[in-house]
Amino acid sequence: MSRKKNLKGKGSSKSSIASPNKSSNNGKSGNGIGSVAPSNGVVYPSRPSVSSSGEFYDMAFKVMLVGDSGVGKTCLLVRFKDRAFLAGSFISTVGIDFRNKVLTIDMLKVKLQIWDTAGQERFRSVTHAYYRDAHALLLLYDVTNKASFDNIKAWLTEIHDYAQQDVVIMLLGNKADATHDRVVKREEGESLAKAFGVPFMETSAKSGLNVELAFTAVAKELKHRSIKEPDDPKFQLQDYVNKEMKTAGCCSS
Amino acid sequence: METEKNGNITQVHQNNSTKAKGSVDSYGFEKPDGYESYEEMMTEYLAVLTRRSAKWSKLMKGKVKVENNLKVKRYVRKGVPNEHRAQIWMAASGAQAQMEKNPGYYQSLLGMDQQRDPKLEETVRTDMHRTFPDNVHFRNSSETCLQNVLYNVLLAYGCHNPSVGYCQGMNFIAGYLIIITKNEEKSFWLMDALIGRILPDYYTPAMLGLKTDQEVLGELVRVKVPAVWQAMAQHDVMWTLVVSRWFICLYIDVLPVETVLRIWDCLFYEGSKILFRVALTLIRHHQAELLQATSMPELCERFKLITQGAFTNDCHTFMQEIFKEPGSLSMGTVTKLRETCRGRILAEEVSVSP
Repeated sequence: MSRKKNLKGKGSSKSSIASPNKSSNNGKSGNGIGSVAPSNGVVYPSRPSVSSSGEFYDMAFKVMLVGDSGVGKTCLLVRFKDRAFLAGSFISTVGIDFRNKVLTIDMLKVKLQIWDTAGQERFRSVTHAYYRDAHALLLLYDVTNKASFDNIKAWLTEIHDYAQQDVVIMLLGNKADATHDRVVKREEGESLAKAFGVPFMETSAKSGLNVELAFTAVAKELKHRSIKEPDDPKFQLQDYVNKEMKTAGCCSS
Repeated sequence: METEKNGNITQVHQNNSTKAKGSVDSYGFEKPDGYESYEEMMTEYLAVLTRRSAKWSKLMKGKVKVENNLKVKRYVRKGVPNEHRAQIWMAASGAQAQMEKNPGYYQSLLGMDQQRDPKLEETVRTDMHRTFPDNVHFRNSSETCLQNVLYNVLLAYGCHNPSVGYCQGMNFIAGYLIIITKNEEKSFWLMDALIGRILPDYYTPAMLGLKTDQEVLGELVRVKVPAVWQAMAQHDVMWTLVVSRWFICLYIDVLPVETVLRIWDCLFYEGSKILFRVALTLIRHHQAELLQATSMPELCERFKLITQGAFTNDCHTFMQEIFKEPGSLSMGTVTKLRETCRGRILAEEVSVSP
């Protein structure tokens, strides 16, 4: 039954998300890859695939949204997926769910399978079983909620315990539009991110600030990792983020 | 929130019959897409309801208790009319008896300001504006906003049962209870009946009962719908991914409102076994659709689709199906499977912990 649970172990066999091409799938746990799958577990770019919604894509990655309850994980996802923000229309996420979005990164179609998780602590025992397959984690806190920021360290420990060692992590301070209610300064987020060596930006699902960028940057990083051309300069996620990101407020961008 | 001395919430009905008309259903929910077909079904169902209502009135005449016999069981399975629902749920679940045995207890829970756990209050508050934003009674903008009532019930329950406290999902359950009973205290005692007696430990921090029942469902599917079990194994889909909300929310926001209420009629009278009957019916009835999935995401998507449409909208027929489609399902079987699965999960958790 619980096939994945007892497979825990770090760094070894990184499995990829399912590809629609099932020809050579021998039913082995976790490897839904039909074409030649490189060791980093992405769909080989030379063989475009079709997702269940009928969209073509060259490679696919699994991204998870994590962070305390109420920091805006679902809102961020909906803003990115549907470019919409409907205040007061969200219900608390129970359990775990995912949505797909295909992005074009340097002429390649990159499918992100984005997993949205319940933030409440007790659901973690249900959700951390999914960490080990994740290629990237977007870790959110709410700039208007100090506790959600203070919990980031605990989240990073959790990620360290359950996710792949080379998982891409990005720290996001969400609700950056809420100027009046802000209790966590941008600098605090920056220095925490620096201390843990992860890229950081502030986002707003409400205004759309940096939402697209957060996902695009992660997709770029994952794409660069999966196809390393010999002449390619190494992609620097933090530099890219610093260059592209906008800051909350009017005049600082 | 206006609350009478006896705890009844007075303005719900008013609201229902005035401005709420048209765009929302009789419970205050915005009408979902495809509501026309739902209304068509309801027109026919109304005749059923009228018939059942007369029968129930006769059965309940001069009685407060609900007897435990085959006739009542048959009546419950055919649906409890809305006007009798609160009473039947209260009586059948033992909530009424508990409430009578503990007068003033609910109010005392809300009075104990000093001992309140600020973390509990914060967690509950986080979900207030995220509970049924599609229901006029739960909107901030509504003058009769039930968010305070919801807050009280959840906070009182968390104080009453600190080992559970508050778990997401309980907000939706309390919300339905408030809509049906229109009474804070009754909603609290029904929460107590559900979480304390009827359901296994779904909502405790370890969520062991939930994990167990997901696995139990898996075992039942393995026997009763083996092809779907195979597909789940082949695509490496864990049951928790597709059914956790079914169990945690007791089908709220999974199935149509009227269908959920009919399921709850049986849940209060017959116990948690009914949740498996519903799940097995959904899966078995739609196995052809489920088996068309060629990947994990597609299978997950199909698990969402099978909860929608005419089959689940037509609550009366659906409720007949759940007692036919899955075949026999004894409490003995469920109890045994629960023991086995629980043991297995505990053993795995020991070996897996970081």
